[in-house]
Amino acid sequence: MDSFKLGLYQTFVLDDNYQYFIKGLGVTLIVTIFACLLGLILGVVLAIIRSAYDQRQPGRKVSVILRILNAFAKVYITVIRGTPTMVQLLIMWFVVWASARSTDANLIRCAILSFGINSGAYVAEIIRSGIMSIDKGQMEAGRSLGLSYGTTMKNIIIPQAFKNVLPALGNELITLLKETSIVTVIGLKDLTKGAMIIQGKTFQAFVPYFAIAIIYLVMVMLLSWLLGKMERRLRESDKR
Amino acid sequence: MISVENLSKSFDGVDVLNNISEKIEPGEKVVIIGPSGSGKSTFLRCLNMLEVPTSGKIFFDDCEITSPETDIDKVRMRLGMVFQHFNLFANLSIEDNLTLAPVKLKLMTKDEAHEEALRLLERVGLPDKADAYPAQLSGGQKQRVAIARALMMKPEMMLFDEPTSALDPEMVGEVLEIMKELAEDGMTMVVVTHEMGFAREVATRVLFMDEGNIIEQGTPEEVFDHPQEERTKSFLSKVL
Repeated sequence: MDSFKLGLYQTFVLDDNYQYFIKGLGVTLIVTIFACLLGLILGVVLAIIRSAYDQRQPGRKVSVILRILNAFAKVYITVIRGTPTMVQLLIMWFVVWASARSTDANLIRCAILSFGINSGAYVAEIIRSGIMSIDKGQMEAGRSLGLSYGTTMKNIIIPQAFKNVLPALGNELITLLKETSIVTVIGLKDLTKGAMIIQGKTFQAFVPYFAIAIIYLVMVMLLSWLLGKMERRLRESDKR
Repeated sequence: MISVENLSKSFDGVDVLNNISEKIEPGEKVVIIGPSGSGKSTFLRCLNMLEVPTSGKIFFDDCEITSPETDIDKVRMRLGMVFQHFNLFANLSIEDNLTLAPVKLKLMTKDEAHEEALRLLERVGLPDKADAYPAQLSGGQKQRVAIARALMMKPEMMLFDEPTSALDPEMVGEVLEIMKELAEDGMTMVVVTHEMGFAREVATRVLFMDEGNIIEQGTPEEVFDHPQEERTKSFLSKVL
């Protein structure tokens, strides 16, 4: 028991070590939130390109631009899903951003970009599955009224698709939140790195690692709760 | 109003429409009957380019709608369509279902659209459903809303694709009643249906289609009471 107390003391109180957790949590949250936004934007765009191509009318010419975009989207999704996230992060920082000074701001930007691009590939496939699940009569009804493909997509198809895939998107967001812990490999001081630093300073392992495990768990539980609320709100149009 | 010249359509090498030529004049109520798979729905869907013809031309007034240069959205704004499966926008309230297209296409302001929507809902007997969602309505109610939605665009002509085929028997009457009122108001209509009673009562002209061809056409009396073709006779003997 005394050793546990010592562990608590050294992990949180000594040298104001709790600051590592607070600052680290901040970094983890910033990277997660902005990577998630970037991933969503990329994902929706890619999903629309992919499904526009897949739902092209037989007999109608597909524009060259759409062909190129679709090919690009396919390559992008294949490469990103086919390589480890950590490798992508290492390449992003040590190759693409090789000339950048290693300030915290730069590291955070690099991490956001890397995770955003990574998440985008998964989100694209999730959203695409949502778009494909919408009855094609919805698109036909929109088009028959004279609405353009884009307007129908934006006002009718995407909102319904989004609602249908919200659980899967939530999954992706949770994975993203936890996966940001690998930013330690480029030296960004996130929550996990904070625990590692404390271990290095104090030789305590039990308390710091269990502490961050609990922090991650609580964040994920909060996220699940928020997603559940959002899902119920979006289900309003399903009530009978 | 609409003239069809040598229209053919094939799906993956299977011919669905064989070289059809037909003219529809303003004010006509054309009812298309025929066995399933005869191409009647495909023919109707070609008239607003929901199906792209394999060959042939379709003119709406003087505009060749089959030409790639034509802005098909502009044409569709003048051509209302009602579907077998209603295709109400599931994520929007009934009022929003009605107002979306005219507002987005800048035909009406939000206030005008709101008033017009309430007026049309009154007309189809659903004034209290403006705030409901499609999932809360019965089939018959959905189809009446779908008709109101098409009427919001003040179309010059309306296409009905088996509007009562997905309805429970006791709801067929309420939908046909509204279609009859529309016909009496002078709307140009093309209706694909299995409701022979409706065809006899409302049609100014009946087309009998089989295997992608218009086999026979004429007034309801001519087609129903004195069919000339063997195939028409055998079809009518099965459905009447």
